[in-house]
Amino acid sequence: MGTLLTRWRTWLWVLPAVALLLVFVYYPIVDNLRLSFFSWNAFSPEPRFVGLDNYAETFADPVFWRALLNNTAYAVVSLVFQAGLSLVLAALLEELVGKRMRGLLRTLYFIPAAMSITVVGVLFSFLYNPRYGLVNAALDAVGLGHLGRAWLGEESSAIWSVIAMSQWQSVGYTAVLFVVAIQRIPREYYEAARVDGSGAVRMFFSITLPMVREMTTLIVILTISGAFLVFNEVMVMTAGGPDNSSQVLGTWLYRKAFFEDDMGYAATVATVIFVITFAIAALQLAVSRRRRYDA
Amino acid sequence: MTKPRWSALSLVTVLVAAAGCGGGSGTAPAATADLSAPKEKAGTLTMVTKFADPEYAPYFEKVVAAYEAANPKVDVKLEQVGDQPYKDKIRVLSASRDLPDIYFSWAGDFANKFVRAGLAADLTGVIGPGTPWGSTFAPAALKAFEYGGKNYGMPINLDGKYMVYNKTVLDKAGVTPPASFEDLLSACDKLKAAGVQPIAFGNQYGWAAIHYITQLNAYGVPARTLEDDYNPATGAFTDPGYVTALQRFKDLVARCGTKDANGLSHETAQAQFLAGKAGMHYVETVEFDVFTKAEPAIEWSFFRLPVPAGAAGDATALTGAPDGFLVNARSQNAGLAVDFLKFLSSKENAAAITKDIGWLSPVKDSATAGNAYPQLTDALTDIDKATSFAIWLDTVTHAEVASAYLSGVEGMLSGSRTPEQVMEGVRAAAAKAKKEVG
Repeated sequence: MGTLLTRWRTWLWVLPAVALLLVFVYYPIVDNLRLSFFSWNAFSPEPRFVGLDNYAETFADPVFWRALLNNTAYAVVSLVFQAGLSLVLAALLEELVGKRMRGLLRTLYFIPAAMSITVVGVLFSFLYNPRYGLVNAALDAVGLGHLGRAWLGEESSAIWSVIAMSQWQSVGYTAVLFVVAIQRIPREYYEAARVDGSGAVRMFFSITLPMVREMTTLIVILTISGAFLVFNEVMVMTAGGPDNSSQVLGTWLYRKAFFEDDMGYAATVATVIFVITFAIAALQLAVSRRRRYDA
Repeated sequence: MTKPRWSALSLVTVLVAAAGCGGGSGTAPAATADLSAPKEKAGTLTMVTKFADPEYAPYFEKVVAAYEAANPKVDVKLEQVGDQPYKDKIRVLSASRDLPDIYFSWAGDFANKFVRAGLAADLTGVIGPGTPWGSTFAPAALKAFEYGGKNYGMPINLDGKYMVYNKTVLDKAGVTPPASFEDLLSACDKLKAAGVQPIAFGNQYGWAAIHYITQLNAYGVPARTLEDDYNPATGAFTDPGYVTALQRFKDLVARCGTKDANGLSHETAQAQFLAGKAGMHYVETVEFDVFTKAEPAIEWSFFRLPVPAGAAGDATALTGAPDGFLVNARSQNAGLAVDFLKFLSSKENAAAITKDIGWLSPVKDSATAGNAYPQLTDALTDIDKATSFAIWLDTVTHAEVASAYLSGVEGMLSGSRTPEQVMEGVRAAAAKAKKEVG
C-alpha cells in the first residue's frame, strides 16, 4: 500500500513536467511532421494534402543542398577551431602561462561568448563593411589591399565571413571548458612524465589529450549539433544572401515560412533539421553509454 | 562552441501551435463585418502597426490618445512593432485567426493574401469611390488596396520613389538632371570622371535593387501584361521586356554604382550621399526628411528615374504605393474600427502626419506650404501626375515570385547570373505560385 502511494506521489510530481514536455516539445514535433505532408500557409484556410511532394521539392531544390552544405562547412570549421584549436589554447594556458596572466587571459577569451549574438553580428557587419570596415583597412595597411572585398556581399565569401565571426565568439568558451577538464588531471602524471624526460608536446599527446577525452566528445557533439541549428548569426549578418549563397537550414526554413508563405516546405526543412540533430544526439547517447561500459 | 539556437524552429512551433489552437479545421470565413457606425462609441479596439520606429510611433500614439479623449468609453489597444517582426507577427496572428480589429498592410499581393483568406473586411460601402469618406482620398491611393473591384484598405501615406540629387555635386561636374535613361548613364560617366560616385547604392537586403526593377518593368513591359503577370493566378513573365529591364539595371549599376553594392546597406549608401561623396541616391519620399535635416545642409532636388528610349510600357507610371490599414473581417467592433480610421484620416490628422513625420498623406489637400517643405509639395504635385502606381515588386507579386526576384537580382549584381537566368527563376516561381492559388 505504502509503495503504491509512493508511486502515485512520484507520478504526481513528475506529471506537470511530462505534460509540459508533451504539449510544448513532442506535440509540435509530431504535428510538424504531419504538416510537412500538406501545402499550407498562414493565410490558407484549408491545408491541402500533398503526400511527399514537399520532400521531393526540398530534395530537388539546389538552395536546400547549398544550405545543408553551408551547415556542414560550419560544423567542420567549428570542429577544427572549437574542439582542436581551443584544446591547444587551453593546454598552453595551463602549462606555459603564469598564474596571474592565466586568469586574465581566461577572462579575455571568455568575454566574446558572453556577448549577445545580435550585438556581435552588427559589430562584425561594421568590421566587414567594404567602405569603412576595419578588415579591408587592415589588409590595406599591410599591403594586402588587393585581397579586400565586400566580405558579406560576395557569394564566395559571405558564409565564410559569418563562420569566422562565430569562431571568434566561441573558441574562448570551449577553451575554458577544456581548462576545467585539464585542471582535473592529477598533477602526478605530468611530474612522472617530466621525470621520465618527456617534453611539453609529448605530455600533451600522452596525458592531456587522452585525459580530456570525455570533454572532447561532449564538445564535438555540441559543436556539430549547434552547427546544424545555427540561425541568428546568419540572419543578422546576411539573411542568407547574396543570392542565397549563405543560407543555412535554419534561415532557409525561416525564409520559406515567413517570407514565401510556404509553410509545408518549411515544415519539411524543420523535419530534416530534426532528423539530423536527433541522429547526432543518438550518437552522443550511444558513445557515452559505450564509454560507461568500457569503464 | 556554437550554442543551440532554436529561434527559427521556435517560430515555426509557435505557428504550428497557433494553427492548431485557433484555426481548428480552418474553414474559410466569408465573414461580413458590420461596418455601420456604432450607436454608442464604446468598447475596446485592437490595432497593430509596423511603425515602432521612434520617429513614427509617437504620431500614432498621439492620434490614439486624441481619439480616446474624444470618446472616453473607447479603449484603443495600440501595438507597434518593427518592419521585419511585423511580417512574422501578422502571419502568426493570421494562422491563429486572432487578428486585431485594425492591422497594417503593404499594398499589392501582401494585402490580397488577407482578402483571399477572408481575413479583410470589404470596405467598399464606406471607402469606395463616390462615398463621402472615399472621396477625401487621392484615387490612385485607394486603388492600391482594390482587389476584384472592391476596396479593402485605407491608405495611410503616399510614397513615391525618386532620384534625389545633390545640386552642388552635379553642378561641379557640369551635369544637369537627365531627360532620358540614356542621358542618366552619360551623366554617370561625367560624375565618375569628376571623381565622385554617380549614384549611392546599397543592396545588402535586396529590396533596393528591386525598387529600380519595379520602375524599369513598368517602363519596359506593357501595363496589361504587367498586370497579368503580377497576378499569381495568371503570372507567366514571358515578355522580353523583363529581361531588357534587368539588362538596363545591370548597365546602370555598372556605370553609376559600385560592384560592392550587395555588401553595403541602403543606410551606408545614404550616408555617402549626405556626405557629398555621391551625386544621386534613389529614395522614397518617406525618406525625404533625412535630406532636409542633413548636417551640414545640402542643396538637393529630385527627378523621376528617366524613361529609356523606345520603352514599351507606361512612361508615366511611378514606383511607389501607399501603406495602409485593413479591418479584420471577423471584428466584433468593425463599425468602431471604421470610425477610428475616419478619425485617423481626418484632414487635421492627415496634415499632422506631414508636419510631424514628413510623410505625404493620401488625403487630398493635406500638404500645404504651411506644413510641408518645397520638395515634399513638389513630390505631391508629381505624384498627382502619375497615371498609376507601380507597386513595389516585392509586395505586389506573390511571395514566391518576390523571393525569386530578390535573390536572382542579387546574383546578377554579383555576376553569378545573367538577366535570362534571373527570369528563368522568376518563371519557375510564378508557375509554383499559380499552382498554389489554383
